[in-house]
Amino acid sequence: MRRVLIVTLTLTLAVSCGRETPAPSATSTAIDENLPQDGGTIIRRLQADVATLNPVIPTSRYDRLVMNYIFTPLVGLDVDLKPAPALATKWDISSDGLNYVFHLDPKATFSDNTPVHASDVLFTLKKIVDPATEAAQVASGFDKIDMTRTHVVDDHTIAVGFKEAFAPQLTKFNDVLVMPEHVYSKGDFKTAFNFNAVGSGPYKLVRRVAEKEIVLERREDYWGRKPFLKTIIFKPIIDFITAWNALKRGDIDETEITSDIWALNNSRPELQKTINFTRFYYLSVNTVAWNNRGPILSDKRVRRALAQCIDISSVINNLYHGTARAMNGPFTPDQWAYNPNVPVIQFDPAAAQHALNSIGWLDTDHDGVLDKDHKPLNIELLIFAGNPSSAQFGQLLQSELKKIGVAMTLTEMEPTALLQRILAGNYDSAYLSWDLDPDPDPYGLLHSSQWPPHGQNVVFYKNPEVDTLIDAGRREFNQSKRVDIYRKLHELVAGDQPYTWTLQVSVKWGIAKRVHGVKLSKGWGLFLWYPGEFDWWIPESQRTHDQPAATKAQAQPR
Amino acid sequence: MAAYLARRVAYAVLTFFGITIVTFTLIHSVPGDPVTFYIGKSGTHGVPPQIVAAIKHEYHLDEPVPKQYLWWLRGIFTLDFGPSVIDHRPAMDRILEVLPNTIALNVIAFALSALLGIPIGLWSASRSGHLFERGSSVIFFLLYSLPSFWVAILLMQFFAVRHQWLPLFGMTSDDYLLMSTAHRIADRIQHMVLPSLALTYAQLAFYARFTKSALTEVIHQDFITTARAKGVSVHAVMWKHALRNALLPLVTLLGLTIPYLLSGSVIIETMFQWDGVGKLYFQSLASRDYPTVLALTVVTAVVTLFASVVSDVLYALADPRVRVEGKR
Repeated sequence: MRRVLIVTLTLTLAVSCGRETPAPSATSTAIDENLPQDGGTIIRRLQADVATLNPVIPTSRYDRLVMNYIFTPLVGLDVDLKPAPALATKWDISSDGLNYVFHLDPKATFSDNTPVHASDVLFTLKKIVDPATEAAQVASGFDKIDMTRTHVVDDHTIAVGFKEAFAPQLTKFNDVLVMPEHVYSKGDFKTAFNFNAVGSGPYKLVRRVAEKEIVLERREDYWGRKPFLKTIIFKPIIDFITAWNALKRGDIDETEITSDIWALNNSRPELQKTINFTRFYYLSVNTVAWNNRGPILSDKRVRRALAQCIDISSVINNLYHGTARAMNGPFTPDQWAYNPNVPVIQFDPAAAQHALNSIGWLDTDHDGVLDKDHKPLNIELLIFAGNPSSAQFGQLLQSELKKIGVAMTLTEMEPTALLQRILAGNYDSAYLSWDLDPDPDPYGLLHSSQWPPHGQNVVFYKNPEVDTLIDAGRREFNQSKRVDIYRKLHELVAGDQPYTWTLQVSVKWGIAKRVHGVKLSKGWGLFLWYPGEFDWWIPESQRTHDQPAATKAQAQPR
Repeated sequence: MAAYLARRVAYAVLTFFGITIVTFTLIHSVPGDPVTFYIGKSGTHGVPPQIVAAIKHEYHLDEPVPKQYLWWLRGIFTLDFGPSVIDHRPAMDRILEVLPNTIALNVIAFALSALLGIPIGLWSASRSGHLFERGSSVIFFLLYSLPSFWVAILLMQFFAVRHQWLPLFGMTSDDYLLMSTAHRIADRIQHMVLPSLALTYAQLAFYARFTKSALTEVIHQDFITTARAKGVSVHAVMWKHALRNALLPLVTLLGLTIPYLLSGSVIIETMFQWDGVGKLYFQSLASRDYPTVLALTVVTAVVTLFASVVSDVLYALADPRVRVEGKR
């Protein structure tokens, strides 16, 4: 009995049919300003230049922002981050979860006008799993692929085999940005495609000038639903103040803004005339990581007592101007795994002190610091240097803990050095931020097999019951059963407090008012999901960036 | 002279190898390596062990440290420092791309601050004690102590946001590729104004104060008093006797500035999105890009040593005592 999962394109096709022909130009008749208009140029900010345009070896999310226009993933993610048709219009998964068959869109072509074949998908998968490619970000999603059972069925069908059933696997195919074999099999794979790209996406690369710009132009021969904007320009601007000024000047059309810039500007009427302010949550969480192997912090009652000293509402209101929300456990409210019945740990220093006293932490030597067996309750908190709000969070926690007799020392460290220390297990606690995957599987963070160096369980947490649930969740393909597993997991882990999940800080964005059709996804915000940025449009009367430069094809790697 | 030169060069070569060992040891003793950088970038899932092994192999991290040093030493002679951790391109390519941008900006800032700062310093020394001169001293002191990021923000706010007279960031305009040569030059100059101003103001204040104190010191020496007593005019004393002597320490100072022309300012280059050495150095350090960091260090070290050899030789030419001392 095969459990077949088929996603049909009916709905998307119905939408796209109505849009095959571009909207009429302004000169013809009066335009309804509320209907999307074809054409125009948008200038987007990159927070750092991309390292490469090679879709298999992105090193940051900015690389992916650009690649998303040029390449098409095998499987898309929709506004709810659920798998949706993309290059593959439908797929079948065997009942044991070990075999996938993808059916490619037969109309799909690359920007060099060659058809997309299943052999190109196979080539891309081979490149991803080849260790020499060093596809550090993508390869971990294909750990269990069985290349002997992965083969081309026909021009538009590919079978992919896995050694283990893995429920989140389908979402991992969102990272498979298919490349044409006849282009990418030539030259040095890791360096030949930093400045050029051939993909099956709706845009093609015009030029990339390092640290200055990446210019993309819409493919008029695109095989799928054509997006509205004709030209996309990415400009790397590292500094947030510069980017904010650039948005005000109209040099760029969108940028992330800091909490401070947001608080100062989002209600100024003169800015609201030209800028839309929006905020939302990524799948990103701030946590205090407790080293569960440490002599003091191995006791979950201690961890919980420390968590009770975090004045979360004060942090949210004073550090983030009210634009953050408290967490109750490992999953965010935007994930289906989230358990709303788990309470947020309330700020209650008196209860914390009582709890610590009751398990033997008492100030026997009257030095103001609790002790047990002649050892003081002294904890070091590592903080990423250069992040003012993290430092302030640390100071706030430190002062609250001091009131109940817990000494906390704060150590600011450069990010990579800090990471090195927590991976080595050489720390008490650290204030971290994790970016979570669209699938909630917490294996890498919480499973006991994932202690460094094997994974990112940097708190060295081990609970056999949790391990069992995580394993079950990875094997369970029935969504409602999976939901039950993760809600149970959420409750269990929140009780153990291996981490104290503190809050989510909302991401703030400023977008030029002329950009229309902007929608938000829960978890990924403005883009990378489908259709996301492909629905953006700019009314013809408000196009200020249309320049001949953007349309003139000119390859110039600097 | 030839013997002196040979000895000087030999010292420089020895110093160079000393620098390579120190830099190599330093960068390797900073916690974290390229693998940590990859892990940090890969979110909640780790990097598969076979990829860790591949990364270690690519950067020779799987070999004993002395052997890693020898790999790198080989790189110095072949000018191939290996691929950058960030984008796998040869580290040297990236450096050669950004070096001209930094030099251009620094040379302008240096020229401006020397050409304006030195005359201002001379002027204030000749007016020493006047109310106006004292006021200007205070202003220069203030300028010298203003943080550059703050000045950069003010410059941006005034010249690029409030009055849109100048571009806010970047090195060229969007339509640069379509411009005529003359327009391209004008466009580049426009983009240079704000960052070079932000680099200039502190240096200018420094040169002004340095020149002033050098000249003031000379003015109080006996031979100036003698010249005055002889009846030489104030003007001639100032420009013929005092200035020439005051310029000596200044020339030394200017010589020492040469290596700085190659090292970019992280803050200014980042704020103005200037694709220069400072930004590259910072990014490379943060990502533990060993090949790029080490290559950048070699380039800077070579230029610094070269400049110091040249200035020593020039000094020896000007002052025979240096050569005699060397022969002892």
